[in-house]
Amino acid sequence: MGEVILTMKGIDKSFPGVHALDHVDLEVRRGEVHALMGENGAGKSTLMKVLTGIYTKDEGTITFEGKEVEFHNTREAQDAGIVIVHQELNMLGHLTVAQNIFFGREFKKGIGIDDRKMNEEAAKLFERLNIDIDPTTTMSDLTVGKQQMCEIAKAISHEAKVIIFDEPSAALTEAEIEELFKIIRDLRAQNLGIIYISHRMDEIKVITDRVTVMRDGAYVGTLITEDCTKNDIINMMVGRVIYEDPKTHSMVPEGAPVVLKVENLNAGKMVQNVSFELHKGEILGFSGLMGAGRTETARAIFGADPKQSGDIYMNGEKVTINTPQDAVNHGIGYLSEDRKRFGIVVQKSVAENTTLATLKEYLSGIFINKRKEEKVAQEFVDSLATKTPGVDQLVVNLSGGNQQKVVIAKWLCRNSDVLIFDEPTRGIDVGAKNEIYKLMNKLAAEGKAIIMISSEMTEILRMSDRIVVMCEGKITGELDIAEATQENIMNLATREIS
Amino acid sequence: MEALKNNPFVKKVGLNRILLVCVLIVMYVLFALFSPTFLSYSRILSILNYACFLGFLSLGVTFVIATGGIDFSIGPVMFCCALISGYCLMSYGVPMVPVMLISILVGLCFGIFNGYLVAYWSIPPFIVSMASMNISKGLASVFTKTQSVSWPQSTSEQGWYRYLVKVGNIPVGLFIFLGIAIICAIILNKTKIGRYILCLGSNMEAVRLSGVNVKKWQMTAYIICGTLVGIAAIFFVSAYTTVQPGYGDQYNNEAIAGCVMGGTSMAGGLASVSGTVIGVFIIALLQEGILALGMNKNYQLIITGIIVIAAVYFDVLGRRRKN
Repeated sequence: MGEVILTMKGIDKSFPGVHALDHVDLEVRRGEVHALMGENGAGKSTLMKVLTGIYTKDEGTITFEGKEVEFHNTREAQDAGIVIVHQELNMLGHLTVAQNIFFGREFKKGIGIDDRKMNEEAAKLFERLNIDIDPTTTMSDLTVGKQQMCEIAKAISHEAKVIIFDEPSAALTEAEIEELFKIIRDLRAQNLGIIYISHRMDEIKVITDRVTVMRDGAYVGTLITEDCTKNDIINMMVGRVIYEDPKTHSMVPEGAPVVLKVENLNAGKMVQNVSFELHKGEILGFSGLMGAGRTETARAIFGADPKQSGDIYMNGEKVTINTPQDAVNHGIGYLSEDRKRFGIVVQKSVAENTTLATLKEYLSGIFINKRKEEKVAQEFVDSLATKTPGVDQLVVNLSGGNQQKVVIAKWLCRNSDVLIFDEPTRGIDVGAKNEIYKLMNKLAAEGKAIIMISSEMTEILRMSDRIVVMCEGKITGELDIAEATQENIMNLATREIS
Repeated sequence: MEALKNNPFVKKVGLNRILLVCVLIVMYVLFALFSPTFLSYSRILSILNYACFLGFLSLGVTFVIATGGIDFSIGPVMFCCALISGYCLMSYGVPMVPVMLISILVGLCFGIFNGYLVAYWSIPPFIVSMASMNISKGLASVFTKTQSVSWPQSTSEQGWYRYLVKVGNIPVGLFIFLGIAIICAIILNKTKIGRYILCLGSNMEAVRLSGVNVKKWQMTAYIICGTLVGIAAIFFVSAYTTVQPGYGDQYNNEAIAGCVMGGTSMAGGLASVSGTVIGVFIIALLQEGILALGMNKNYQLIITGIIVIAAVYFDVLGRRRKN
């Protein structure tokens, strides 16, 4: 490890309803891989967004190469030498690899674009990274893993001094992860500072030199990776929060009836011949890598996206679901992974959001009976322990976890038999996360059938009675909770690709 | 300022609306200072005439803007309604009551047309309404053979329709307008239609995924708008009697200005009927005022254009601050 290149000190940031960062410190040296760890919602991504100028900090200082800096946008951060390789790929599918890498700073030849030079420069970058990708390939033809490599090449092309990897392995197969680690080690040898964000404990031990742990938006501590055990890190991450006990066996009673049956569902490339059964009182976990087609499957079942073929049975009866309206009428509720876009109407009140799927029941003649509406909304606020000043509060002012509870209330209100939770705890702070878990267990015990899509292995293993694993649009396996381990799930999740 | 904001009365009525009323009063006083005729009752009646038909247009477009859409066809469609129904009256001798129904029906048809294309074919509202602006102008010209239509004078046998705007010195039109505005406010705030329109204007996908038939409700907003445009046509001819084919564009901007000034957000999801009503009075006062100050009609266009931009800019600014 070399001298300190980047210091963040006392970084503070608040959003309406959430204290996202509470005086966080971070120090990165040249030639080190520095892990940034914490549960979902611990504030890792927010901290990196502050660093790269996407968010402005409320308090604190950032020192880079000995000078205090403040970036106003990612461009300024890039120019200074701090680049981020995002978890979501920011690539334009219809352009070639080289065009993507040099997007926004194309080489010019007269008034035109010099594609030949761009291809040459891109080839040089790939050579430096030891990756075999043809710069003239169209981006959308590459696998997710290869696209990620292109992101890295793009980052390096900026003369980066500090590179941030935001959960780079989330969509990668084992082999691709190996390749990624080789690249990261090369970069470390070239004396770059590297910030590595990941949930996967095993990776941290393999690739990083130091670990900084965050919890609930606050700085917990920094350790030297070699000197600590996995458990040390977990204890720091989880702190005082006690989670629901992980399941060791299925809690579904023997002979519970099948509520939902899906047969040979096809919807585009991401959903191919998907078949499964869901029982009353069961939590069925859907595991897989990013882009495995789990959300697409859920949306196709729910009628949110068109499907090409396949049959859906509810309680043994074949049903036709072409629109979300049909799905809701048959008792299916869908909680999207992206609450803000697909779940809530942020500018409306808690009460209005709660009754969105059931408004018919609150009509007196042609008028909405607001008193009845607010009464029901209040009941759900109480029973779900939603933290809000009142049911007339606009949902935009609530924190992520409480917004999620409003969405849950919406479907409970509808009394849906089947609930599809898509990444139910994404972006939710740690305390609220356990409340959501408790709630899901309670719902299952009451006889609701739940599909839970989750990218967090611990969450899958903690909550599911049975696990379906998907890879590249196909179901590659089904495991009972008693036999499921991280390893055999990962094997199934990467079966098709390698 | 903070104390003012927390005053219970201000909170209930809304600071924006109070400021708007102040603007209205200040403008009236200024115009009265420059041109004493503004204090005369006949001048006030003439402002109300203008506010009345414009008000119906503005109420209509409030529903459309609440969905996050826009309608640039309301002015020409209003003329189309007045021309087709007026032509039926004058050339085919259709009695007055069916003629009024024809006017409303024409507006309704354009509402269905716009709404269907926007909701079910997913054509951007901007394009749809621009197209129906042309269609309505062309249709009216074909129907009337490019002749202007003069509706009957008050003294003639069929002239009773003019009482809709005023009887003697009583501004009946104002009361009808306020009555319909109250109905609109009830629809928007107290019924399922309004709830869904506002929610889908705020986040259409979330509402769709809640199992709501969003297309139907989106189209409903345009249908309400079309119907109100048909009613606006009746009040236009009641006040001015003569309509010419190929015109009406200027009222688009005036109606949209009134609506946005009143606090309806161009991004959709937020709408205020009472704001629209006050906004319409400001616009009507302004149009009369500009003429009274001796400036010609062209200045009306310039000033309204600037007002639209200013009103929308404040809306954008307000939203940016919230984020």
